[in-house]
Amino acid sequence: MEAEAGVDESFRYAFQNHMDSLNTAPKWWREFKTNAFESYANMPMPRRNDENWRFANRNNLSLGKFKFDGDSVSANVSSLVEKSRFTRAQAGGYVIADNKIVQANRAPKELTDQGVIWSPLSEAILEHSDLLRDYFMKQGIDLGSEKFAHLHSAFVTNGVLLYVPKGIEIEAPFCSYNWSTSENGTLFPHTLVIAEANAKASVIEAHLSEGEQSVFSCGVTHLFAGVGSELNYTLIQNLNENTLGFQINSNIAGKDSTVNMNSVILGCGHYRSETHGQIKGSGAHVDMRSMALADAEQEIDQRTLQTHSATHTTSNLLFKNALKEKSKTIFSGLIKVDEVAQQTDAYQTNRNLLLSNTAEANSLPGLEIEANNVKCSHGATTSEIQEEEIFYMLARGIPKDAAEELIVYGFFEEILENIEDEKLSYCTRQLIRKKFGS
Amino acid sequence: MTTATNNIEIDRDKGDFKYAETHRFDAGVGLNEGTVDYICDVKGEDDWIRDFRKRALKVFQDKPMPTHWATKDLENIDFNKIRYYLAGDQRAKKSWDDVPDEVKETFERLGIPENERKFLAGVEAQFDSEAAYSNIKEVVAKDGVIFIGSTDGLMEHPEIFKKWFGKVIPTGDNKFSALNSAVFSGGSFIYVPPGVKVSHPLQAYFRINAENFGQFERTLIIADEGSEVTYMEGCTAPKFDTATLHSAVVELVAMPGAKIEYVTVQNWSSNVFNLVTKRAIAHENSVVKWIDCNIGSRLTMKYPGVVLKGRKARGEVLSIALANDDQHQDTGAKMIHAADETTSNVISKSISVGKGRSTYRGQVHIPKHLKGCKNNTECDALLINSDSRTDTYPAITVRGDQNYVQHEASVSKVSAEQIFYMQQRGLSEAGAMSLSVNGFVNDLTRQFPMEYSVELKRLIELEMEGSVG
Amino acid sequence: MSASLEIKNLNVSIGDKQIIKDFSLTIPKSEVHAIMGPNGTGKSTLAKALAGHPDYEITSGDALIDGESIIEMEVDERSRAGLFLAFQYPMEIPGVSIANFIRAARNARLPEGEDLDAPAYYKELYEKMDTLKIDRKFTSRSINEGFSGGEKKRCEILQLAMLNPKYAILDETDSGLDIDALKIVSEGVNALRGPELGALVITHYQRLLDYIVPDKVHVMYDGRIVKSGDKSLALELESKGYDWIKEIAENAA
Repeated sequence: MEAEAGVDESFRYAFQNHMDSLNTAPKWWREFKTNAFESYANMPMPRRNDENWRFANRNNLSLGKFKFDGDSVSANVSSLVEKSRFTRAQAGGYVIADNKIVQANRAPKELTDQGVIWSPLSEAILEHSDLLRDYFMKQGIDLGSEKFAHLHSAFVTNGVLLYVPKGIEIEAPFCSYNWSTSENGTLFPHTLVIAEANAKASVIEAHLSEGEQSVFSCGVTHLFAGVGSELNYTLIQNLNENTLGFQINSNIAGKDSTVNMNSVILGCGHYRSETHGQIKGSGAHVDMRSMALADAEQEIDQRTLQTHSATHTTSNLLFKNALKEKSKTIFSGLIKVDEVAQQTDAYQTNRNLLLSNTAEANSLPGLEIEANNVKCSHGATTSEIQEEEIFYMLARGIPKDAAEELIVYGFFEEILENIEDEKLSYCTRQLIRKKFGS
Repeated sequence: MTTATNNIEIDRDKGDFKYAETHRFDAGVGLNEGTVDYICDVKGEDDWIRDFRKRALKVFQDKPMPTHWATKDLENIDFNKIRYYLAGDQRAKKSWDDVPDEVKETFERLGIPENERKFLAGVEAQFDSEAAYSNIKEVVAKDGVIFIGSTDGLMEHPEIFKKWFGKVIPTGDNKFSALNSAVFSGGSFIYVPPGVKVSHPLQAYFRINAENFGQFERTLIIADEGSEVTYMEGCTAPKFDTATLHSAVVELVAMPGAKIEYVTVQNWSSNVFNLVTKRAIAHENSVVKWIDCNIGSRLTMKYPGVVLKGRKARGEVLSIALANDDQHQDTGAKMIHAADETTSNVISKSISVGKGRSTYRGQVHIPKHLKGCKNNTECDALLINSDSRTDTYPAITVRGDQNYVQHEASVSKVSAEQIFYMQQRGLSEAGAMSLSVNGFVNDLTRQFPMEYSVELKRLIELEMEGSVG
Repeated sequence: MSASLEIKNLNVSIGDKQIIKDFSLTIPKSEVHAIMGPNGTGKSTLAKALAGHPDYEITSGDALIDGESIIEMEVDERSRAGLFLAFQYPMEIPGVSIANFIRAARNARLPEGEDLDAPAYYKELYEKMDTLKIDRKFTSRSINEGFSGGEKKRCEILQLAMLNPKYAILDETDSGLDIDALKIVSEGVNALRGPELGALVITHYQRLLDYIVPDKVHVMYDGRIVKSGDKSLALELESKGYDWIKEIAENAA
């Protein structure tokens, strides 16, 4: 059944409650949220003919049962904090449970003295209102989840803001852990990173569940990479499989900047992720990588866009999916090269490894090229594990399950090797291992 | 190459001429039930065909334009200004001597009778709505091969025709297949009996002579068990100032072990909307190969498909598209795997010249529980000028872990350094460009029947003239 | 009218940067001249500018083939006027076979309305390929695509042999060649030497000149010739090194 535009009274009441809790926030923020809510209410649900939703299941997008007006954390906070240690070192970190800060590791003084801002969003609204006003939700949403982006704007209360002034290079990562703990709860993780000219920073974000409760999560990450800057971003998504998840990512790469976006997707029953690399400055380079391991009846739906609108830019996308049991993946990617973007190199690769006879992989790798002096290519393959590979391992005495697992690790290695922090790399591999039940 | 240039001069104007219209039968301008009745009446069709047409008309009228994914240029087709049926006669002549003079002259200028003598097993020549000439060589006919116009096919062989007609491509497949189903006229009907291998190609030639006209031929080819046939079609129209519509439906049925090769070299003038639905059903161990060369037209939308219905069936689409200024070649392929161990191969090469735009759309579908299916898709695009455009939109669905699919696409240009290198050897800039474009498509054209690869090479040379500098 | 390739006071720029500076040189037909010089001194620029590469602008001066100026000609016109450039880095042209490529180039040299005698062409092509020890199977391979360095250079000399130019410029034909390939390429060039061909051999190393013995050797530095001599100059240069040239150039300045 097609869900209609509009919202019912109880939902409107929930939004009112949400707004009542923000009565000390700046006026622009309250107006922004009210407008976002109305846009959400007026926008139709994704329709059958919508190319951005091709192959996607639109039947379980109903949000009726979820609680939008906040909830208390229903988990042992110290245990969550204990589990929020994915990296060897960090320049700062926040642990957020059901949109509330439960632990804050602020940036060291030598960084804040130089103008670095590392702030929870709830504080930034009050303390860095002007900065947020210029950058918050300013990248445009264009891959199909516009309605859900408005929903995010309407209800978002927390997340992180990282601002790195000109020329400041920070090696250690900033971390943001977002936990879901409450039955029928909602999560709106938000990450906003602004790097001024020649700045350098890394951000690691994790979306995690404590318990098996059903949850709606709708996150947004926006990266702004100034002239000559370098930003590295890694998202680890391991929400439980009762979660309906949306993640809307976008980055704007300025002149001569480098942006690396990595995603490790393991959780959610139905997960929709959108990633837009906007390569706007000449000489910029954007890398977008993702690995997803899907099992049971998971649906992982990923849409990407690489937009080149300046000369001498490069982008490289590699999305790898391994599918077990009755899972389903969709990769829909588009490289768009504007008329002016001569001397562009853009690559897009999607590889799917089917591990079961009931899994389904969809691939829509697209190109729209309007400049002629370009090197662009895309490739997509969908295949099974080669019998000979398994045979070779069996012959070495490795049991079949373990052999399969090893091959999948090998398949993902191309993505995982880009995670620089050793501990994060180890933790990620542990999470993958858990999904194999070992 | 100087002598080739002389030939090209002749070629260039080859399709661009027309004769005054002297149609005895004219359904008038616009489309309604009356148009359909007029066509049924003059053709003397059975009631089931009339019902089929009227149901189709309703589907056509109800279906929206597919502009949610296709180009908005479709909205520029004014269906109320098109003439849907124009003919001098309903029955094709079996001898050129009986064909009216100006029609015969048209086909002589296009070289059809000469080709017929040289290398064809049979020829059908359609002029506007009906075939003017249709003949099959005695040596082929005596094996039981039927090659006649679709109008005659309906009348003379209803038992074969009815079984497959509209079964490969249902009326409601898309808006234009519905339109064709309502007003179809002309096209070929071919039946090849079991085990018969037709050694020379059968050829159809489609000619539009009238302005504001829509040509809606309907072709049905059935290759019975173990038989083989090659069918080639060519299309031309003069350059009119107004839009012309060509919307064909082509259905192929390859019975177990049969082989069908369907070759199209289209050279429509740049005001033709060419919106064609082509699909085949391939039964066990059969092979269907579409060779599709699209040059010219204002907008071509064509995605030849194969439904791989029987075990070990194989489907292939080899296509070349060249989009010049103000042209949009929106082409591709559909491979629907419906049985174990079926294989498909799609190789598409497109060239965008000037402001031309070429688009590849593909669909590969492998449902679950199938084993041992393989698809290979390669799309290469060549962009000649800085305002040329290319798009690629494949859609691949694979269920199950015992199938293999790969898709690769690339976009490249002819580099200034390559042109300099060739010019240093004495080739003109246009000659160098033409040589590299032919080089780009070379590995594909090698797989085409000889006569067609030569024709295609010339058409490409022609299109590349004036593309540089 | 002199039968020579004559370069007169040539100035060449890439963008704003002047590379060739008031360069003059005359190569009489039947002679082989060599230009040596350190990297970045303008040797390849000279070759490409003479061939008419669009990135290289001739700001003043002239170049003449047998008395006729070529600098206003298009690239292909210069080629047909008798100038051949063997490229340092020959281009790969996908899908275009060697046989078809050379044939197209030969056809471009025929008068309007005349076509190549195909059997004679292939006979000649095969003979010349045999001389250069190029496998006949190469005729159907795409030009330079997937060729080794040596194969590419031999293919350049094959084209030189097939197109019968009046003057040939060999731009670092020895780069990337092992000694065996160098011998084959040199033999190919030597076989073409005679009263009908003038050649300019550009090289960084003296080694090539052991095999293609030049009539004259010129040393180039910073866009101009700083010293000329006979073949012994190459040996002197080899032993003294390019710093020696630098000194000469600086003393001259």
